[in-house]
Amino acid sequence: MSTLTAREAFVHPALFYRTEEEYTRQTVAFLKEGLAKGEPMAVAVPGPNLELIRGGLGADAEGIVFLDMTEAGRNPGRIIPKVLRGFADAHPQVRVRIIGEPIWAGRSAVEYPACAQHEALINVAFEGRAVTILCPYDETRLDPQVIADARITHPTVIDGQGREETSDVYDWEAVVSRYNQVLPPAAADASVFSYGSEDLPGVRRFAVTHAARLGLAGERLLDAELAVAELTTNSVVHGGGRGVLTVWAEHGQVVIEVRDAGRLTDPLAGRRPPERGQIGGRGLMLVHYVSDLVRVHTGDDGTSVRVYLSV
Amino acid sequence: MDAPHAVGGAGPATPGRAGLEVSPLPGRSGIRARGEISALTRPSWEQALSDLARRHAGVSYVELSDVAFVDVAGVTALAVTAMSLSDGRVVVEHPPPQLPRVLEMFWPGLSRIEVAP
Repeated sequence: MSTLTAREAFVHPALFYRTEEEYTRQTVAFLKEGLAKGEPMAVAVPGPNLELIRGGLGADAEGIVFLDMTEAGRNPGRIIPKVLRGFADAHPQVRVRIIGEPIWAGRSAVEYPACAQHEALINVAFEGRAVTILCPYDETRLDPQVIADARITHPTVIDGQGREETSDVYDWEAVVSRYNQVLPPAAADASVFSYGSEDLPGVRRFAVTHAARLGLAGERLLDAELAVAELTTNSVVHGGGRGVLTVWAEHGQVVIEVRDAGRLTDPLAGRRPPERGQIGGRGLMLVHYVSDLVRVHTGDDGTSVRVYLSV
Repeated sequence: MDAPHAVGGAGPATPGRAGLEVSPLPGRSGIRARGEISALTRPSWEQALSDLARRHAGVSYVELSDVAFVDVAGVTALAVTAMSLSDGRVVVEHPPPQLPRVLEMFWPGLSRIEVAP
């Protein structure tokens, strides 16, 4: 029964909480269980919730890694490679225990599809690994659709009283495909550049010029240039040899979209950290690392990747 | 690799275009590059690094003051080359800003590469 063993190896419950008291009680109980087993532990949740957990643990907080998820996981696409695998891979010999809260009240409608896909992809990213990840959801402040989706992306759910049950609607792939949505139109004043392989330096400079005009500077502009180079090179190598880059400003962010005829078939592309000496596999990961949000739509007509960089 | 050679891009390499020109460093063990290190010029960059690794003894220099841009794969090729050396280090002089940024992102604390800004 290798399948059963694999399912048992990775444990991924959602915690639906209604009050700070429920939140603290359940997360602290989860961590104390790990403490008793000697498991390495990390907590990546929004700042105020970090304080609740720290306060609830007292001296037991020592040795636990704490990260503010609104910074480390601002872009949900980098949570798997950087936050979760970053911690799990550092402890390959033992089971690790993590609290990850990637969806908080205040996540925007543009961010949410990428958040839901991230929660779904955790299941395949950690399949068969000795890792436990508890994902808290604020039942009183999050949209009912978010709570309904969490039942689909988590094999088990725990309520505020600590009662655990198997989710009868668990189906992570359904959420990945449901949120593979057509992206909303670009701004009317967006700048557009159509490129082929000979134009790679030109399209990169075009993107940098416009990103700077729209307010990016310093390291953020450097990151935008690196991300554009990866995405446009990808079009030329894997996406039919050419593509279209569009850049505009939206709600205090610079948005850069790269569209080409390729189809993204690997949902974990850009989320698998490569071995240190491995040649490839870092391009899309860099795009996830440097962006505040990455949205992707892929289908028979091609692929659009949209990166958002806060000014 | 005793004479400069250009590979990739259309026509001779000039800064600001897609080409890359790599030549030996006069008086020191290593190479200097001119142009851009990207998908279009990857073969010549990787060939130059492979030659550099073969001749490496102690310290090798990579002079990049005339390189305007290097992408993730270009930095990867350099990092992987440096990690494969049995001893010593590679000193990268005056690299474009993408190089330290990508090194810091994927190979923090890589002792075989010294960046001299």
